[in-house]
Amino acid sequence: MTKQYFGFSVLEQRSVNLDSEMPAELESLYQKEPSLRACIACGNCAAVCSAGHFAEMQFYRLNVMARRGLLHEMVGKAAACMLCGRCQMSCPRGVNIRHAVLMMSQL
Amino acid sequence: MVSKFHPFVLPFSIGFALMLAVLTVRYVIWLRGLSSDNRKRIRSKFFTVNTWKALVEIFRESLVHLKIYKVNPMLGFMHMSLAFGWFLLIVGGKLETWYYTGDFANEMHYAIFFRYFEPVTSGFWMNGVMVFFMEFALLMVLTGLILAFAKRIRKKLMGMQNTTRHSPGNRIALTFLWFIFPLRLFAESATAGQHGGGGFMTARIGSWLFNSAGAASWELPLWWAYSISLGLFFIALPFSRYLHIPTEMVLILLRRWGIEPEKGFNPNKGLQAFEVHSCSSCGICLDACPAINIGQEAFQASYFVRGVRENSEVEAKATSCLSCGSCTSICPVGVDVEQLRLDKRSDIFSKARFSHSYLPGSMTLWRDTTEVVLFTGCMGRSNPKTTVAFKALLKEARLSFVHVDEKDGVCCGRPMALAGALDQSLMMKEYNSNLINGQNGQVLVTTCPICFKYFTEEYNLNIPVMHHSQFLWELMKKGKIKRDSRDLKFAYHDPCELGRGSGCYEPPRSVLAQLGELLSVDKERDKALCCGNNLGSLSLPESDRRQITARTLAVLSANEPDYIVSSCPLCKQTLARQSSVEVKDLAEILLETKPLRVKVPSYSYVHQEAGR
Repeated sequence: MTKQYFGFSVLEQRSVNLDSEMPAELESLYQKEPSLRACIACGNCAAVCSAGHFAEMQFYRLNVMARRGLLHEMVGKAAACMLCGRCQMSCPRGVNIRHAVLMMSQL
Repeated sequence: MVSKFHPFVLPFSIGFALMLAVLTVRYVIWLRGLSSDNRKRIRSKFFTVNTWKALVEIFRESLVHLKIYKVNPMLGFMHMSLAFGWFLLIVGGKLETWYYTGDFANEMHYAIFFRYFEPVTSGFWMNGVMVFFMEFALLMVLTGLILAFAKRIRKKLMGMQNTTRHSPGNRIALTFLWFIFPLRLFAESATAGQHGGGGFMTARIGSWLFNSAGAASWELPLWWAYSISLGLFFIALPFSRYLHIPTEMVLILLRRWGIEPEKGFNPNKGLQAFEVHSCSSCGICLDACPAINIGQEAFQASYFVRGVRENSEVEAKATSCLSCGSCTSICPVGVDVEQLRLDKRSDIFSKARFSHSYLPGSMTLWRDTTEVVLFTGCMGRSNPKTTVAFKALLKEARLSFVHVDEKDGVCCGRPMALAGALDQSLMMKEYNSNLINGQNGQVLVTTCPICFKYFTEEYNLNIPVMHHSQFLWELMKKGKIKRDSRDLKFAYHDPCELGRGSGCYEPPRSVLAQLGELLSVDKERDKALCCGNNLGSLSLPESDRRQITARTLAVLSANEPDYIVSSCPLCKQTLARQSSVEVKDLAEILLETKPLRVKVPSYSYVHQEAGR
């Protein structure tokens, strides 16, 4: 169900709920790569992505998906990564993106 | 055969027999893990010169430790006096019993405890030689022991900054080992003091300490203690790092027989088992590691291999490492830690599935011939300055080129291989191979050492591959690019993948030497430090990487260079973000030193041109 607020709409599955618990897989993902918490979804990673030229690969989105609990979708999208590391070089928050993607594609 | 016996020899005999039994069982299990191809190799190479070469290598490396000498002479001497000294004692003991009994075959304990059974020996002048030889060998081992002891107390005395922190089991084995030789000295001295005889050490110590009648009761307990420490050491050997003593010899043999490592991570099977157990945790890799004392947990090769040996959790150790290759290149045993780590990573990320089926076809049907096929790689696209400079240099040298990954490049696959997912880079490899092979070029030049290593090792391209530093040096040698030396000072940073990875040290240095003064750096060539951002490292936090970068920069900028020069876009970018000295790529430097005024051509040149 979609709620209407002043012309904006928020899908229920995407509404922010700070009380909800993280799925166990996600908890372990964040534990093994703590730097993922630092991601602010700025989009630098997607701007430089080598795989992004050819496929729908945007790392910050994977992370957003993970936070929203869309794990299945995230794993599918992570498979496009080439692990080249350009995103990591351009990340202003120092996220170990290559390690994170490896973990994500394993979930 | 002389048969003499005393119950005190039992601890030694039992310990030795147990060690042999355990070693046999373990070796048989490991050898059974060899692939059938490897077994064939052993059968075909067994009776060849390779076996002889292996024996020579065993003498040079397992006994005299020549490779350690090259790294650190004091440490080499310590290892040599322990290993070679002990070997001399064993050989000498055998010769001694043979000489005195006239019988080659004697019971083992008779040779080991010879002086207890035969305190006073006499004979021709050979007797003096024998006594002196045995005492000398013992002195040699004791010297090594004193050095080893000094190293424990103050490692800097032995020229080491870091030494391995040993696990409790290894410490116990070490204690037994340390007791063996002083006890032997005192036991022999006690016998000499009571019964006469002895050499330059034992006779003297005997007459000082064990001459009195009261000291007679000391003799047997000392022999007992000597035998017990020997026995306990032998029992501990197959379960501690001292397993490297026999295993390294087998490893050398296997290598000389051309055994190839089995695929996958199997530290208890085949060649990998011998490799893992040949590591002596000597700690030489620690000082070489650019990431030593960085991070929460020590992940250096010595600790990683020990973890693998002890079957403990090594995931973090395997994924934190930068894979810069320093440890592998300095390891005196030649353990291929790099490969072991990659195998472990494949094991860790075995469930990761990547698919690059979205890549379009890259076959080129026809193209005019071009001289240079340029591939700048992923990192190159984030570093356009290098690419622009290199293209300008190609124009200066009047070479035609095609930049194949100008718009949308695909990764070469090396980063994926470094993460242990070698098999999953196939589609990327196919894409790039088709792209490059279709260009009808003469040479592939890449500005990225990571791509360079992978193209040369894993790709099967139809044209030769060169790194841009090699190519630029070729152009300078041919005179297609000319530069005068200027008043500039450079410090060159060896990228891991180009230096240790591909063995290319000279070309970039030769280019820089033409442009100005090339400063020597404290750690360079095969000892160069990593920039801190090698793609091998997966889980090392950003803050730790920055510490490594800072260390490397401190070494590079020590002699106050005008520029820090690298020939890797990744190194350049990583160093540049923290450096106070300007960091540039080799191509950029070469372009910037281009003379502004073109020299007036010499008369003969003009004349020739006119005459054409």
